[in-house]
Amino acid sequence: MYPLSRRALLKGAAFGGAALAAAPAFLAASRPARAADGPLALYNGQHRPPVEALIAAFTAATGIEVAVRHGSSAQLASQLMEEGAHSPADVFWSEESPSLFALAEKGLLAPLSAETLSAVPAEYSAKDGTWIGATARCRVVVYNKADVDPATLPASVLDFATEAYADKVAFAPASGAFQQQIMAVMILKGRETALAWLKGLRQYGRVYNSDSAAVEAVESGDIPIALSNNYYWQALAREIGEADVQSAIHNIGHGDPGTLITVSGGGVLKSAKNAEAAQRFVGFMVSEEGQKAIVAAIAEYPLRPGVTSPFPLTPFGELDPAPVTPNQLGDAEAALALLREAELA
Amino acid sequence: MSDTFGELAEIAAAPRPRRARRTRALPPAIVAAALVPIALIALPIVYVLIRSADAGWSGIVAELFRERTLMLFWNTSVLTFSVTGLALAIGGAAAWLTERSDLPGRALWRVLFCLPLAMPAFVASFAWKSIGPSFQGLGGAILILSMESFPLVFLPLAAALRSMDPAPEEVSRSLGQGPRATFMKVVLPRALPAAGGGALLVAAHMLSEFGALSLLRVQTLTTAIFQQYELQFDNASAAVLSAMLMLFCLPVAFGEIYLRGAERRDKVGRSAVRRRREQRLGSWMWPALAFSALVCVLALGVPFGRLGYWLMRGVSAGRGIEAIGPALWGSLSLALPGTIVTTIVALPLVLLALRGGGRIARIAERLPYVVHGLPGLVVALALVYASIRLLPAVYQTRAVLFAAYAILFMPLAQSALRASAELVSPEMEDVARTLGRGALRAFVSVTLPALAPGLGAALALVALELMRELTATLILAPTGVATLATEVWSLTGDGAYAAAAPFAAALVLISGLPVYVFTLRTLDPGGRARKGTPGKRRPRTG
Repeated sequence: MYPLSRRALLKGAAFGGAALAAAPAFLAASRPARAADGPLALYNGQHRPPVEALIAAFTAATGIEVAVRHGSSAQLASQLMEEGAHSPADVFWSEESPSLFALAEKGLLAPLSAETLSAVPAEYSAKDGTWIGATARCRVVVYNKADVDPATLPASVLDFATEAYADKVAFAPASGAFQQQIMAVMILKGRETALAWLKGLRQYGRVYNSDSAAVEAVESGDIPIALSNNYYWQALAREIGEADVQSAIHNIGHGDPGTLITVSGGGVLKSAKNAEAAQRFVGFMVSEEGQKAIVAAIAEYPLRPGVTSPFPLTPFGELDPAPVTPNQLGDAEAALALLREAELA
Repeated sequence: MSDTFGELAEIAAAPRPRRARRTRALPPAIVAAALVPIALIALPIVYVLIRSADAGWSGIVAELFRERTLMLFWNTSVLTFSVTGLALAIGGAAAWLTERSDLPGRALWRVLFCLPLAMPAFVASFAWKSIGPSFQGLGGAILILSMESFPLVFLPLAAALRSMDPAPEEVSRSLGQGPRATFMKVVLPRALPAAGGGALLVAAHMLSEFGALSLLRVQTLTTAIFQQYELQFDNASAAVLSAMLMLFCLPVAFGEIYLRGAERRDKVGRSAVRRRREQRLGSWMWPALAFSALVCVLALGVPFGRLGYWLMRGVSAGRGIEAIGPALWGSLSLALPGTIVTTIVALPLVLLALRGGGRIARIAERLPYVVHGLPGLVVALALVYASIRLLPAVYQTRAVLFAAYAILFMPLAQSALRASAELVSPEMEDVARTLGRGALRAFVSVTLPALAPGLGAALALVALELMRELTATLILAPTGVATLATEVWSLTGDGAYAAAAPFAAALVLISGLPVYVFTLRTLDPGGRARKGTPGKRRPRTG
């Protein structure tokens, strides 16, 4: 046995005792904000740079502090559903509309003010006015410039699920945006076509865990082509430098589901303790000042008319995207059933 | 004389025979305290069962026999067995070289072989991945994860080889057994529990690993569970996969018991630790040095080199660098109290199993190992579910997060504590009681102080894991609290590797302290005191 250690033990006991004594203080300090005077609680599923930029502008303009919980949109939405009326959250900012749609379906979102809703075109917000689209992003094809001549790229995203592209196409079935793309294929071409497309991608494509991983794989020459969102490529180009970047973006256009507009947006929780500040925050997201702050930090399209992005984006009017709105995409649950049927999930 | 030798040889050659442990009544306070960890562990199990039941029998069966489920099952098995096997081989060779051979620079190698512990697997994976695509996939994952996890085998094994009483080996040699036979018959059986315990930790890590595998594009049951929760909010199929994963953990959890056998390791006197003869490497010297150097390059050189590279470059560097202070504070303010809570919660369970003796107590002691293989996400969701329904006032307080930490990492504390607790002879407590102390006082004054060495190792190991814990922290931490690990994760998620590098470096640096303490505690549990009083040893003959 060790001769030890009574001294060591006493030290340990003192340490443990102090920690236990401190525990109630910790608990008190960490109570979720319930009082109306606490900071605004934001659950954030959007990428951080635009959110941090907007919060800085919002706090500067209103003096209201914001506490943020970061996560993926789907995960935060499921947390909000689990929390229900007890939720400490005031505002939910989602990277994808299906998470907002699902919360609205469960009756967890409060209606937004008419002034907020009128700031962006109605087609990008909830029909019942419980959430609003703040920025638009676009599904694109990213290709490696050394491996692919863009003139040879197919006229439809459906063509990538064929033997001609065996082991050449990266895609991310877990990506929310990819699921919206499945919805678009299903809405425009029918369920059977969508299922065949997924089975083809499973057979000939390569699965990545995220859209950004797929884009990086193209950039590093791992694979020639990726189905992804436009801003991942722009973020990469900014990180590496426009001159050194090995990959480029291709827009399919002409109404093909390969070019799909998806939106990121926000809503106020019905259970919000800071309801008024929460409404102001969502209003600020679509204000001129707020939109400028957001689009300076991420290569997404501002949905408020009159604001422009500093990134070299294909002009919104020239995209010629698939004619599908966020409301039609719904909560994208049908896409999940298809993914499972195709053994991709 | 010859009889004595025969007896000694018998002791030397085989683990001591099973001896019924008389059930000594533990103080009731400790038995009651053991209900806390048992209740905590029951939470995720009950949650997974409730959610699986939502799928219904037909749903469960359909989920189990999908082609995809079989693929996940296969990948999980291959990864777990390969990494565990490789970690055993590398860790075993490293331990033998540093403790039993005349390898030059053993003190330095010993430190180097421990250092990979400070490198979180997801940071190492990112580093490797940024070299080129060929390190992705199952093969790359096996290489990278083996390199980062072999210290979990190396450390306990090196400690066992070092602290082993040399007497049985000397007896075996004096009876004419060669070095190889002595190693196989005397050293190996006594080193197996340490190696096995380490290997099981590695296996459990592999079952619950998410970050690294996600970066390396390997699909296992755990990454699939994450994907399911990403795909759908209220997910029964994720629960079915979680239940499967727990079944996977069962052999891991009970394997350790099997490895240990019913051997009794406590003794009243302290064995002498004398210098033993080193095995001369001779012409194997250069291969041995090359092996050690290769391991260090793969496990340390590449990840640290890439981390340094990302620290140096990239325009995104600097964004959010002012957040390092709060993130560092976040990590410490969650990990340190969490460590103490986890260790305190684990203690009564260890004592109950060791002293309570009953089958139920031993099964209860194993339950945390079953849950240890579950991803943090599932435990976090179980706590959200339970705390919102039962105790809404504590939701999103640190209390719930600490509960999650305890559920996830109790086995680490248990293993370290158990190693010390086993060495405490219950007879010592009996002596205290015959001298007039009550049960609790005898326990507090005799047994508890003797646990201190294990306590140090337990605290350090748990602190190390809590520092890098990701998924439970993301879901349960109070809104607005970030840690180094969550910052690294969300920045790499945005592709801002250069911006993530300072956080990753800070994480590796602060992990250095628990690694140091853990290493020291494991390799040298008694501290300086070991050096005293040679030769006073009293072989037990029962």
